[in-house]
Amino acid sequence: MAEGSSTGPPGTPTGFAPFIDAERFAAAARAFHQGGQDSQTAAAFGDFLRDQFGGVLDRMWEGSAPGRPAPPAPDAPALGPTREQQERWQRVAAAWQRLQEAQRRLQRLWSDALAEAARAFVSRMSSAAAPLTPEALHGLYDAWVDCAEEAYARMAHGEAFGTALAETVKAASDWRDESAASIEPWAKWLDWPTRNEINSLSMRVRALEQQTAARPAAKKRTTAAKKRAARVRRKR
Amino acid sequence: MSAALYAALSAARHCAPGCSEKDEVWRSGKLRLYRYRSISGLPSAVPLLIVYALVNRPYMMDLEPERSLIRGLLSRGLDVYLVDWGYPDGADRFTSLEDYLEGQLAGCVEEILKARGVAALNLLGVCQGGVFSLCFAALHPERVRNLITMVTPVDFHTSADLLSKWARKIDVEAWVGQANVSGDVLNQLFLALMPFRLSHQKYVDLLRGEPDRARIENFMRVERWIYDSPDQAGAAFREFVVWFYQQNRFVRGGLEIGGRGVDLRNLELPILNLIGARDHLVPPASSAALRGLVRSSDFTTLELDLGHIGMYVSARAQRQVPAAIGEWLAAR
Repeated sequence: MAEGSSTGPPGTPTGFAPFIDAERFAAAARAFHQGGQDSQTAAAFGDFLRDQFGGVLDRMWEGSAPGRPAPPAPDAPALGPTREQQERWQRVAAAWQRLQEAQRRLQRLWSDALAEAARAFVSRMSSAAAPLTPEALHGLYDAWVDCAEEAYARMAHGEAFGTALAETVKAASDWRDESAASIEPWAKWLDWPTRNEINSLSMRVRALEQQTAARPAAKKRTTAAKKRAARVRRKR
Repeated sequence: MSAALYAALSAARHCAPGCSEKDEVWRSGKLRLYRYRSISGLPSAVPLLIVYALVNRPYMMDLEPERSLIRGLLSRGLDVYLVDWGYPDGADRFTSLEDYLEGQLAGCVEEILKARGVAALNLLGVCQGGVFSLCFAALHPERVRNLITMVTPVDFHTSADLLSKWARKIDVEAWVGQANVSGDVLNQLFLALMPFRLSHQKYVDLLRGEPDRARIENFMRVERWIYDSPDQAGAAFREFVVWFYQQNRFVRGGLEIGGRGVDLRNLELPILNLIGARDHLVPPASSAALRGLVRSSDFTTLELDLGHIGMYVSARAQRQVPAAIGEWLAAR
């Protein structure tokens, strides 16, 4: 077996267990082979195999419980019984990263607006050299707010800010949804109601309410139709 | 902060909004319909139903004795009802605009008409409640005698409408998912329209002059109202943003509620359109667009030099708004 065949880059401790096991097996087998294959090295190799593969059954069960595996590398392929959990974890991490990037873009635009506001404010200040009484200070503060709101409004009405805001909302929504999806298996495992189950029940209740509300109207229409039919019969 | 201001703010922290006496006359789910007790003898024959927005709470219409639109209307002999939509929770996530309009609002109207023995009432819609009132009047013209719209968005694609510019870019399906929308998040969005003024300057303004008790109490009541933001029922919120903010269906057409077309050209009733000239949330041009979309021959536009919130609580609004509504209704 080739060296470094785990799922992560060489040296990464979070590789896929069977690959790591295989590397250890190869090393132990080489030691057994080079050790002369006597009874002592055979026993040691047998103990190694029991230890090495003792956890295989446990790892199979891991897939049926929602325990969080160690955070995998973002692009690590998901394999084995915990692949669903690993992919969920990767999606949460990716959404979080997108959210942080979107927030950084917003922050950058905000900072640009502040810089523009500060330039405008300083130019206004230099043209008004009044003594700084409390009233003058309030006036200066109001002037700063005017400059800040004007610069912000120019930026906020622009394409870049709207796009960055929309990206932030989308990334935050994705992160919320992925986080909720990663928690849902815990509720299933504990036999607690999940959000999906409650939503499903809510929709059934809603449908029943709508049917119940529609019934009197339908009854009214049926009664009116019967009365009309009776009138027609009487006329005949 | 001075010790005097700190003490004044602390003393005012429990100030409760609401001052006029009212009775709950109907309820449906979380909705409550209130009727305000008359303060001027016999109330007018035609009841006036105030339809407030889903965002924020309707007690802003009756904040305190000196700043109460409702009190002003009562003092002019109007018979005032108010819809309180309540606080939606997780069980309301699938509540749609049809549920709000054809279920809850229609239920309120039927209840009032039955109780008062009249065929039609007057509607006063505020902000998003104005949008609901327009839809209701278009769907049930026989139920509405006169319509008053206050700071109501109609054309959602005017150039000054920052909220709309943002909303048009947002993936609302992803944002809402199958959940409700947090009122706190919405509040942050509203504050982000003018972040320096709304989240900073207004507090710094408190530091000016001596802390006047009435001013501080009013400030605290408004502060409480601003941050008392109900979550929004997911389905209705999604419909509202997509149909109005993104697709501008009042103007472009294609609006349907419960499978029935809503066409503002069906509106032929008398309309009073109250616009805030300094409204940062609903640009004046957005409200003013109503004039060109309806067939009413009796249409009055009243543009006041007020902001969105000032339209209900400013001292100038107390002098101008109830009087304008009272006189306009009295003439009809």
